[in-house]
Amino acid sequence: MSRSSLLIAALLALVTPAMAQSVVKTDNVEARLVAETPNAVPGGTTSVALRLDIREHWHTYWSYAGDSGEATTVDWTLPAGVTAGPLQFPYPDRIEVPPLVNFGYEGTVLHLTDIQIPASAKPGDTIPIKADAVWLVCADVCIPEEGVLTLDLPVAAEAGTSDATTAAEFAAARAAMPTPSPWPATASVDGKTLTLRLDAPQLAGAGLASAVLFPQSGGYIKNAAPQSVDTSGGTLAISTETGRRFATPEKAAEVKSFPAVIVATGSDGVTHAFTLDAPVTAGPAAPAQGGEGALSVPVAILFAFLGGLILNLMPCVFPVLSMKALALAKKGGDTRAARMGGLAYTAGVVVSFLAIAGLLIALRAGGEQVAWGFQLQSPIVVAALALLFFVIGLNLMGVFEVGGRIQNIGSGLGKGDGITASFLTGVLAAVVAAPCTAPFMAGAVGAAISQPPAIALSIFGALGLGMAAPYLALAFSPALIRLMPKPGTWMVRLKQVLAFPMFGSAAWLLWVLVIQAGPNVLAMVLAAFILAAFGLWLWGLAQRGEAGLKTRILAGLTAVPVLAAVAMAKPSAPSGLLSEAYTPARLEELLKEGKPVFVNLTAAWCVTCLVNEEVALSGKDLADTFKKGGITYLKGDWTNRDPDITKLLEQHGRAGVPLYLFYASGKSEPVVLPQLLTEGIVIAAVTGS
Amino acid sequence: MKGKFAVLKSLLFAVVFTATAAASPVVGEAAPAFSGKNTKGQTVELSSFAGKTVVLEWTNNGCPYVRKHYGSGNMQKTQEAAAADGVVWLTIISSAEGKQGYVTPAEADALTAERGAKPADVILDTDQTIARAYEARTTPHMFIIDPAGTLVYAGAIDDTPTADPKDLATAKNLVLEALDDLKNGRPVATPESEPYGCSVKY
Repeated sequence: MSRSSLLIAALLALVTPAMAQSVVKTDNVEARLVAETPNAVPGGTTSVALRLDIREHWHTYWSYAGDSGEATTVDWTLPAGVTAGPLQFPYPDRIEVPPLVNFGYEGTVLHLTDIQIPASAKPGDTIPIKADAVWLVCADVCIPEEGVLTLDLPVAAEAGTSDATTAAEFAAARAAMPTPSPWPATASVDGKTLTLRLDAPQLAGAGLASAVLFPQSGGYIKNAAPQSVDTSGGTLAISTETGRRFATPEKAAEVKSFPAVIVATGSDGVTHAFTLDAPVTAGPAAPAQGGEGALSVPVAILFAFLGGLILNLMPCVFPVLSMKALALAKKGGDTRAARMGGLAYTAGVVVSFLAIAGLLIALRAGGEQVAWGFQLQSPIVVAALALLFFVIGLNLMGVFEVGGRIQNIGSGLGKGDGITASFLTGVLAAVVAAPCTAPFMAGAVGAAISQPPAIALSIFGALGLGMAAPYLALAFSPALIRLMPKPGTWMVRLKQVLAFPMFGSAAWLLWVLVIQAGPNVLAMVLAAFILAAFGLWLWGLAQRGEAGLKTRILAGLTAVPVLAAVAMAKPSAPSGLLSEAYTPARLEELLKEGKPVFVNLTAAWCVTCLVNEEVALSGKDLADTFKKGGITYLKGDWTNRDPDITKLLEQHGRAGVPLYLFYASGKSEPVVLPQLLTEGIVIAAVTGS
Repeated sequence: MKGKFAVLKSLLFAVVFTATAAASPVVGEAAPAFSGKNTKGQTVELSSFAGKTVVLEWTNNGCPYVRKHYGSGNMQKTQEAAAADGVVWLTIISSAEGKQGYVTPAEADALTAERGAKPADVILDTDQTIARAYEARTTPHMFIIDPAGTLVYAGAIDDTPTADPKDLATAKNLVLEALDDLKNGRPVATPESEPYGCSVKY
């Protein structure tokens, strides 16, 4: 504490004598109670901190002290009607005393407690708070110390404003308090290794500098054992040695869940702590009892091949394959051309799968959080695919033909029978397969993607080969083709029937689109469907010689608005809190109107920003508060260079994101919120309480 | 498809662990064998007590948690009850020379006399061999080995992890309970607990 702030503290003590506060000094600790606000409010909650300033090189303990030691405790004595919540413990440090480790605090620690004031309290009353605090303080020796601390809390109608030092201390203490993990966690035990997995792509990205696992009580892990952190596949996995609770399979079977705290520090130096209670599953059998779970890479590739075969039965793919097969059957197969066509089709499928996989690997290497099916995250792609399925359905229905030769029923998709056409059919098959694979194979393919690129590409290649295999076999085997039924008018009927799975696929993608981008986009895309149907119908008329060149041109012209509608498929803001893009002009306009504004400057690569948005800015309470207060939420995305945002950051002395600002109604100077947010902090800031 | 690579990884990890950490003592399995020197310089071996129940007590006279149990007479009472049933009580001091809690053999004997302690022997484990074999963490940290040489209890002296002697009035002495279970041929009801106290000074 600087001399001037000491002076201010002394002055404050003079002007606010009501808030009498005692300090206990022991040999190793200076302890005091500190209230967050100058006054308590009837019916309100006041946060009170037990502040321990610990002698250099000494430490006190967390709620679970680790291999030795004891947690700090407080016994409250409060007037009738006043109640104290549990003593809160900020996340600890690992204090290593090899071969042991303790979990505790060096320097200064604030243990917060919420004191609930009864509604019957009267302004002008004083609430005496007494705390019998006991703490163990250790260096190489341990000393149990205690102190009786008192604090007189005046009651007033308004809580009043804390001085800057106190406000900052409480904000820091809250930021250090572990909060429930917003991500699901699981723990698995393999032999003597316990692995805790947190399905947190926001944490498991390139921005993570360190992650430390703390057990909430003893016996789960060996506290002092080294921990290894793995962030592949969008999952934060921390592995370490099991504790006595897992010493034998019988004992391990008793353990249902592992209560823990994960302390994650980003490369920006900001730390978040999360509490979780991870369900424990026994891993595959202990290594000594055979590697049943340890499938080799060749087996993985075999499975991928089988998966590819199954893809042919998916509603998105089956019609495409059927048409190709029927065309082959019609021509009798077993020609050089058929074999070349089969190979070209296979190449088209495999190349497409490899291209998607390669793109995926490249994006991930660049730190992007993408997984299989990522292409479907774009509403434009979804809309385009839906339109594609609809158009294929129309084609199967016989509304129009591809290639213009009406006689060539069944050559259908892809122009003619050339090698290029077959290759393109393969590409088409792979493209239409993607939406079907995404929901069914996301997990498996996601795991493959997190492998080294060579293995990942092999797995994807095998998937493509498997998908192409049935057609390839047909192309090379006249015997198989002879097994197929004789061509006839039934082929036309089958073709028409197969249009329905295509319409089904289109309908499903439209449903996805509504969720992604909202009803307005759906209306636009449906209009595009109708227009496309109209255009293709005209085109079909011309193909059959029932209309002339003008009709053809008109049909061609309909493609323009159709494609434009698809290209405009953009997601609306996510449900809950609606944000507008930040521009200096928009901010100025809102401030001129005297409206309250909340500004969030963020970036996709900023872990702290993403965590804050997940933890603090996505809840319903906050959305309600913003709505009630008429607060406009402006979001500045600094993912790419943006001089306007840089300027706003500089105005507040910041070199980077996150920055959270709140402009109260009619104020031109904002309140700057802390870099670590909770929903409570934001609500308190915007409601001015 | 995810599992197999994770297994490979954990296999590697397990190998690393096995290299760095010797087998931990497991309650319900054979207690780690040891031999050490008592305050008279004689060798004390666990194997020589086959057929008898053995209690191991890690201690450090400077530790407030140890003082809680000796100052109140709680530890001495537990030792007397054990001795009356023919249980061998070994008090172990593992502080290295120069570390807090280190005592010479003469000082150790003086301490035993001064506190009125009743151990069968006091072992000076100054190189921490025994402490490492049992992964002793705290003072006190208690272990019970049955006549067949099986580790049947590991953990705290009682169920109230504080340094305040007042808490002894309501605490459940887990060592006495376990010895009583053994004497009456019952399985130990609470075979494990979280030890509490000061750290062993490795």
